[in-house]
Amino acid sequence: MRWTDKYRPKAFKDIIGNGKQKKEIEAWVENWKNDIPQECLLLIGPAGTGKTSIAHIIASNFSEFIELNASDKRSYDIIMNTVGESATTQSLFSNERKLIILDEVDGIHGNDDRGGTRAIGKIIKTSHHPMVMTANDFYSKRLTSIKPKCKVIKINKVHTNSINALLKKICKEEGVIADPVAIKELAKRSNGDMRSALNTLQVIADDSKKLELSDLDTVSQKDNTNNIFDSVRRVLKSKSIDKIKKSMMLDEDPTLVMEYLAENIPREYEKPEEIKKAYEMISEADLYFGRARSSRNYTYWRYATDFMGIGVALSKEETYKKFTRLTGSMAFALMGRTRGKRALRDRIAEKMSKKLHVSNSVAISMFPELEIMFENDELAYEIASYLDFDDDEIKRFRNRKIPKKVIKKMEKRKLEEKAKTKVFKESSLNVAIENKDKTEKTSQIEKNTESENLKKDKKKKYSVKSENENKNNNQKNTENKDKKEKKETAQKSLFNF
Amino acid sequence: MSGPWVEKYRPQNLENIVGQTHIMDLLKNYVDEKSMPNLMFTGPAGVGKTTAALALVKSILGEYWRQNFLELNASDARGIETVRTNIKNFCRLKPVGAPFRIIFLDEVDNMTKDAQHALRREMEMYTKTASFILSCNYSSKIIDPIQSRCAIFRFAPIKGQDIIKRLEYIAKEENFEYEDSAIQIIVYFAEGDMRKAINILQASASMGEKITEDKVNDVVSKARPRDINDMITKALTGDFMGARDSLRETMVTQGTSGEDMVNQIYQDIVKRAMEGKMDPDIYINLIEAIAQTDFRIREGANPRIQLEALLTKFL
Repeated sequence: MRWTDKYRPKAFKDIIGNGKQKKEIEAWVENWKNDIPQECLLLIGPAGTGKTSIAHIIASNFSEFIELNASDKRSYDIIMNTVGESATTQSLFSNERKLIILDEVDGIHGNDDRGGTRAIGKIIKTSHHPMVMTANDFYSKRLTSIKPKCKVIKINKVHTNSINALLKKICKEEGVIADPVAIKELAKRSNGDMRSALNTLQVIADDSKKLELSDLDTVSQKDNTNNIFDSVRRVLKSKSIDKIKKSMMLDEDPTLVMEYLAENIPREYEKPEEIKKAYEMISEADLYFGRARSSRNYTYWRYATDFMGIGVALSKEETYKKFTRLTGSMAFALMGRTRGKRALRDRIAEKMSKKLHVSNSVAISMFPELEIMFENDELAYEIASYLDFDDDEIKRFRNRKIPKKVIKKMEKRKLEEKAKTKVFKESSLNVAIENKDKTEKTSQIEKNTESENLKKDKKKKYSVKSENENKNNNQKNTENKDKKEKKETAQKSLFNF
Repeated sequence: MSGPWVEKYRPQNLENIVGQTHIMDLLKNYVDEKSMPNLMFTGPAGVGKTTAALALVKSILGEYWRQNFLELNASDARGIETVRTNIKNFCRLKPVGAPFRIIFLDEVDNMTKDAQHALRREMEMYTKTASFILSCNYSSKIIDPIQSRCAIFRFAPIKGQDIIKRLEYIAKEENFEYEDSAIQIIVYFAEGDMRKAINILQASASMGEKITEDKVNDVVSKARPRDINDMITKALTGDFMGARDSLRETMVTQGTSGEDMVNQIYQDIVKRAMEGKMDPDIYINLIEAIAQTDFRIREGANPRIQLEALLTKFL
């Protein structure tokens, strides 16, 4: 039996870490039991932190459950047929609720699982039953439509010390004689992933019943970064072509190895001349990786590997006699850290690309000018409503929200304009109102020819009327109409010109 | 005022497009004949490729242009899958209320070779019902079979005087006063890119009643990231790690493209050399290195790695 199953937590109290989240979930379950319907639950967190375990513990509180995970095909039809059906029906023999578990929802594949997210959205809306979903990636595009409809609970990585304690306990129960240092190392290397730690422990100690530090090196951990670091260190520290060639034979994406090498070159090499030479080699290697990619001619890789291995190694005058702490690619780390920021950026660019007929990258190149335009409250409001920005997106361009006062003023002005144009066209009786607050825009509208005014009249009448009926709801609607009209006016005047 | 001026003042018909008069005359023939071959517009950014395409489409398709028109730009998914399904399905349907349907693909040079190959079949299969307009920055990145199926129009950067006229027109429409010298400066920085010119104009206008030289300069210096200057200074003084960090910050977080980075680094170096802050020999070496980097990025290498390597040359 796999230890990961054997020692899978059976109740909430067995779950390690995430105390606050646990309480929230227990309350959720309790409410369901008391027949208070709750929002659908979405557990997000890295692998091996216990999301699926939690889902199953929740399931043990209900009489029945249905589970659909990544190994099942999850297209629109399949989800609707399996889960969708039961989501709206009740069991024949009992009144009790049944739990729906959708595991790894961010793993829904774009192509093969077409319509999967749409089906989930629909089920969330219509289901009478409790529902739990799990996902790894908070920023996954597939979650954007699901997230707002759910109660999102972030499950954090489990602390090394907690894993350490767990491993000790299991060693005791399994009768494994373990070196405490090795256990600690194993806990550390698992990087918060209990499943991987348990799996490694079982592979090493299931038969031999002992765990020593040296065992850890023979069993490959979940990630091979240690091996990459060995190769990187070899390249930076050695000048022997034979040794370097051998160390470059490793089971990794070579472009990743290149990133790690590039990252650590300036950490090891000190003379500018060396850094220059070494980086030139990296650049050369990268060029051939690029050529391999675009021409599908992967024989280029061998040159690239030589450039980044031997080339970088021979760029140093002499091997440094010092210890350098090697790090993973900080560029990747930066990408991870700024993921939310970048997602926001791309979301804005997407909105702009639709309205302005430009690609995302062109839209991004317009950001600096927009930033300056957004310093002006009124213009900020105009542009933001034209591009349909939400508050977060506005904050990308200015430090504070657009003051309520300005928004009110602009909205009022728009309404007045509409009223004015109506009055203007119907008769000149109400000139008084018009004079009260003259803006430059009226003059623009006045430019309209009389015949066009007549044509538009009907449309406007309608919009003003509806405004009075339901000001708030229709405001946006009329605003849009207003904009459209103004655009037409602008176009018209362009033609005249 | 409705949103950005670049969209508000986008010319809506072929007559109003500034600059490219030669091309517009040819395109007008297609409108008169109500038929057109597959077209390819190539040229730098902001010279009117998209505008010309949209205007042409509206004139040819008339009232029902929306129903008979499909626009896909580089940010839409345009893999082989899209070409095979979306575009194909669109081509298959009969045009309604128009002589034929038009598909506009922006920035085709960013499509993969596979997708381009899939496209080539569709361009010849549906000639009766659909025509294509492709736009790209570099026609060299388009596979030959596609180029040979298109009439190619090369858009030139817009001439200074044309940009001036347009900017003055917009300023007048928006009731802004301006200094002539301010417009001159905008034209200088826009380098033939009308979109950029209009963006700078609007940004300057947002800062006050009158568009002055000072405001334009302010906008241009603010809009050009200070980071580039800092980064180069760091590299030149030997702080490679610091320079590399700023490079990554600019590229990863702000999303500046490799191409833009090369341009800005180039401009910064030129500026330093012109101000006499750089030894001519070093200058030439650096330009050589920048040229090399530019070439490699276009060849398909990873822009960030290439630029990091470029920074080492500054040490």
